[in-house]
Amino acid sequence: MIRVLFFGPVADRVQAREMQFEYTPGMTLHDVTAKVGMQHPGALSIVSFIAVNQNQVHDKQISLHDNDEIAFMAKFSGG
Amino acid sequence: MNEPVRIQEADFSQDEEIRALKASSKRIGGIGTFLGCARDFSEGREVSEISFDAYGPMALSELKKLRSDAIEKFGLLDARIVHRLGTVKGGDNIVFIAAGAEHRDTALEGCRWMIDALKERVPIWKKEITPQGDSWVTPHP
Repeated sequence: MIRVLFFGPVADRVQAREMQFEYTPGMTLHDVTAKVGMQHPGALSIVSFIAVNQNQVHDKQISLHDNDEIAFMAKFSGG
Repeated sequence: MNEPVRIQEADFSQDEEIRALKASSKRIGGIGTFLGCARDFSEGREVSEISFDAYGPMALSELKKLRSDAIEKFGLLDARIVHRLGTVKGGDNIVFIAAGAEHRDTALEGCRWMIDALKERVPIWKKEITPQGDSWVTPHP
């Protein structure tokens, strides 16, 4: 299972804080991004950062592993 | 309270944070601090409350890294960072950063670097709640 998390403005657009996708061998971050984009096309337009298991990643071709946690995040505004 | 990096809903005491920082080393000759607090007016609108969302585990981990990076980069003797979550009202504390060093230049530069890095690196989002509606804050440079 791949767990996908949303926070702040992205969560508002998705109207959920979490989604889950069945893991399939060979699955990439791009695959998950495409699935989220299909369901919530407006949400990805404000995503500036993606993290896999709490580490920011830039390469969407990276392979995922079962039980990975992905976060789609807008620009930060803490402080 | 003794943890030098914390994310919490409760308010914090600047005095207690500074006391803890000073207790970490008697070589500290200067402490630079930054206190971020909630404004009740923004972008031409009254702001009733500010609420925060965060990717908690990553935010805490990134804050800890940020503190370590600052200590190494500026040769600080110690540093502390506390950020609140939940909902705050105008005038309430949001974030406190303190950098302790042998001399003032390093303390002030280290403190400034930490608040700037926090805004760029730490997954926390701020929403302004106003009589006209709610809106997520666009990051300020």
